[in-house]
Amino acid sequence: MSKTILEVIQLSKHFSRHHSLLQKFKRRSEVIPAVDNISFYLRENETMGLVGESGCGKTTVGRTVLRLTKPTSGSVFFDGQEITYMSDSELRPIRKDMQLIFQDLDAGLNPKMRVQSILQEAISVYGHLSDAEVRVKSHMLLDQVNLKYSKLSSYPSELSGGEKRRVGIARVLAVGAKMIVADEPTSALDVSIQAQVVNLLRDLQKQLGLSYLFISHDLQVVEMMSHKVAVMYLGKIVEMGLTERVSGAARHPYTYILWSSLVEKQSREALQPVNLDRRASWGVFDFERPTRGCRFAPRCPVYERRGHPQECTDPENEPKLRDVGEGHQVACHFPLEG
Amino acid sequence: MKKYSQTTAQIGDFSQLPLSQKYAWVDLLYVGYGLSIVALVLVSYVFGMLDLLPYDPQQINMDLLMSPPFSEGYILGTDFMGRDIRSRLIMGIQAYFLPGMLAVSISLVVGVVLGILSGYYGGRLETVITYITNLVDSFPRLVLILLVVAAFKPDIYYIMIVMGITGIPAVSTAIANKIRFLAQKNFIEAAIALGLRTRVIIFKHILWYNCRALLIIQATLGMGEAILLETSLSYLGFGVQEPVPSWGNMVQSGANYFLQGNFWPSTAPALAILFTILGFNLLGDGLNNILEDRRGK
Amino acid sequence: MTQPLLKIDNLRTYFYARSKQSFVRAVDGVSLEVGQRETVGVVGESGSGKSIAAMSIMGLISAGPGVIGGSIQYASSRVQKNLLEGLQDFVKLDERDGRVMGVSKNESGWQKASEHTMKNLRGKEISMIFQNPRASLNPYISVGEQITEAVRLHTVYKSRKEARERAIYWLEQVRIDSPRLRFNAYPAAMSGGMCQRAMIAMALSSEPSLLIADEPTTGLDATIQSKIVDLMEEIKNGTGISTLLISHDISVISRLADRVAVMYGGAVVEYGFAKQVLGADASIKHPYTAALLASVPSEQKIRDKSNLHAIDGDVLDTINVPPGCRFFARCNQITPEIRERCATLHPDLKEIAPGHQVRCWLFESKAT
Repeated sequence: MSKTILEVIQLSKHFSRHHSLLQKFKRRSEVIPAVDNISFYLRENETMGLVGESGCGKTTVGRTVLRLTKPTSGSVFFDGQEITYMSDSELRPIRKDMQLIFQDLDAGLNPKMRVQSILQEAISVYGHLSDAEVRVKSHMLLDQVNLKYSKLSSYPSELSGGEKRRVGIARVLAVGAKMIVADEPTSALDVSIQAQVVNLLRDLQKQLGLSYLFISHDLQVVEMMSHKVAVMYLGKIVEMGLTERVSGAARHPYTYILWSSLVEKQSREALQPVNLDRRASWGVFDFERPTRGCRFAPRCPVYERRGHPQECTDPENEPKLRDVGEGHQVACHFPLEG
Repeated sequence: MKKYSQTTAQIGDFSQLPLSQKYAWVDLLYVGYGLSIVALVLVSYVFGMLDLLPYDPQQINMDLLMSPPFSEGYILGTDFMGRDIRSRLIMGIQAYFLPGMLAVSISLVVGVVLGILSGYYGGRLETVITYITNLVDSFPRLVLILLVVAAFKPDIYYIMIVMGITGIPAVSTAIANKIRFLAQKNFIEAAIALGLRTRVIIFKHILWYNCRALLIIQATLGMGEAILLETSLSYLGFGVQEPVPSWGNMVQSGANYFLQGNFWPSTAPALAILFTILGFNLLGDGLNNILEDRRGK
Repeated sequence: MTQPLLKIDNLRTYFYARSKQSFVRAVDGVSLEVGQRETVGVVGESGSGKSIAAMSIMGLISAGPGVIGGSIQYASSRVQKNLLEGLQDFVKLDERDGRVMGVSKNESGWQKASEHTMKNLRGKEISMIFQNPRASLNPYISVGEQITEAVRLHTVYKSRKEARERAIYWLEQVRIDSPRLRFNAYPAAMSGGMCQRAMIAMALSSEPSLLIADEPTTGLDATIQSKIVDLMEEIKNGTGISTLLISHDISVISRLADRVAVMYGGAVVEYGFAKQVLGADASIKHPYTAALLASVPSEQKIRDKSNLHAIDGDVLDTINVPPGCRFFARCNQITPEIRERCATLHPDLKEIAPGHQVRCWLFESKAT
């Protein structure tokens, strides 16, 4: 049984929207609970997928877990240590083990620095190595991500999308990451390059024993990469469990709709027709009563079909994650049949 | 009719192209001209400081009044008191060189500090700094200078300090905006996530790589403005006073003789002002275009 | 045999990279057809030239030199015209060894001529929808107003009242709920999916004969994507409009397209009926198409948790175009017999089965 490398307990991150300068000083503002009471754990050598539509808070989870922002409440344990309230200087030595791959391909790649300098900087962050050692390590990193040595003298603007992504991965490996939060690693890439990156990430996991928190809206890639998956909706985890179970035998209506929209695209079987045009967002009406019971109710087909049951909109009765067997958890008053 | 042709030898990376093909020739011209002016000013300043002048700028030569340029021994002629114009021009640089550097230094140093504090740390600090800089920015510079001159004395250094202070908002907002831009592109976050030290992030990545162009340009343009300010004030009589030469007061004193047909004593310093400020401005402009890749590769 | 609605023949659109002193051969000899009431899908990754080809059809290329050769025959019931008529008068090509090495083009002249031709066709006969719906809608005008404007401009409904009713009709057709209410909504208040529907409504409101859709589902959430695909299928069956659908998403193309063209490096490498091109039989396919299909995660691969068949190397940048087959560097089906030809000669499109064309030396012997 491999040990737990990341444990997140009741993590919340609230953002405040200020309307005027005066409000900012008086701290009177609207609060957006982007991440609301999330708990999960990640083991060594394991990949956990985090899926959901844009705006559901998955990116914020990734950034908060890495302490790039301070959580509003809850705790984050990395490799046994509580990092929730550590100061920046305390965090620095820990940061080398937990890294982030950004959605934006150019993030972290200073356009005025050659790849060689970028890697050298990453290699030297936590220890001083001689020029020769740096060169050896750079070559080793390029080997690991399948890049030709000639790319060392290129500037980021001269690299293709796939190459930029791989330099980003090399940079993160250079520091010696044990856990990587991958935020939409394949989104900006062409299909054939996506496959390369996915294969690379899997190979690296096997070789180096890495753990991934794989954030993506591409369900198929998440399915390929993850051992377990959590589905998020408007800041909350609505379903979590082993990938096969969540994708194949979804219990939460939202999960079911997400996965079935995939199938709908590929085959012509029309599954349950659902009106999903009213996309959920942190718009005016969602805000006024942020915890109006189940957040999915306005779009939920089960809610419709059961004739608007009271429990679903009861503000005191928010659906909580309940275990439905073998570590599979669902937050729903009326989960679908297994 | 536009012609395009492919060279048979395909050049590889952009970074290996010769200078003439990498940048627009106009910008190279600007920078070339600007640099030569700056070099000329610098050399002249040093000569002036070391008193390596062809003639004593104050030496009056009553029998050689108003000699035109290229007269015997006096390349730039003499003024209405027979004083050598060339030496006076060189001495005139003293009037604005150090004071101008002072103004530019104040703007840059304080501007950078405030810009970084407000851009990098944000929050309340940003709000406060923005308010202060907006306040300073809203003051009309010339009025402030005249107030200082009236309250104290027409000392060029006092004037330049005021100029430096009023130049802070431009620099600090530019830097804060640049930081905001970088933050939007996850640049800073990525550096923090990697584990880089704050000091390194600020000095190396933000200032050196990204703000370098900005600062050089602010410096050159600032210097140009300082020259303009000093010469204008001296012309009006608020800056350097006679008989100490300043390009501005040289134009002023020569003005009386202009209508009599003696153009040169006024024109010489005026041309000096023109070409020098043009040099600094074009240098800044050209560098801006080159360093920021404005004119599309 | 009825005339096809759109027949593109050997279209070439080049750009010029001053820094590298060479041409960007974005579209290098593309030929395809869209028949009446037919949906043709164009599949390709970035750099394949598919978007540029679409913009070339609409005359929206402004960078130099732009369109330099070919013909685009458009034949609807109302208009018959070559959209690139007169191009030869403005362009002179300098070819060496079959490759264009120099271009002299009277750009302003061609711009005027092209505008003259396209002015009456754009929006009326041929409509286009783009990838980012919010970017294409005017944020300061309500959605309904924009559609009304299009109706008044391009159809017989000139009065405001009539045009308004037509606009509401089209909003209904694209399944926007409460169309009368949404009429006054601004794009900023609408979700991405709704904006896309509004853009489709705007494109269809002028009752065009040809709809060009450039990545209509990219960038939208998964659930919304499938709804837009449903909508497009409905429209296809309902109005009988012809569509040129461009996408890198193979699943979208497979649902909507009757015929498919696969583009790589600025040229069409495979062209045929959807079942032929995207079907499972790998033996009669262009190696690129086969590899592309193999690199998409499918049910089987997910179950096996096996590695995806990634294509080695990177997508071709259309500046350094090799002399032979463009896919040579990444092809994994080269046999020793044809290796030399693949490296030096650019193959032509050859028909290997009725209606199915492939550009590959592997099929030379099988050509009919």
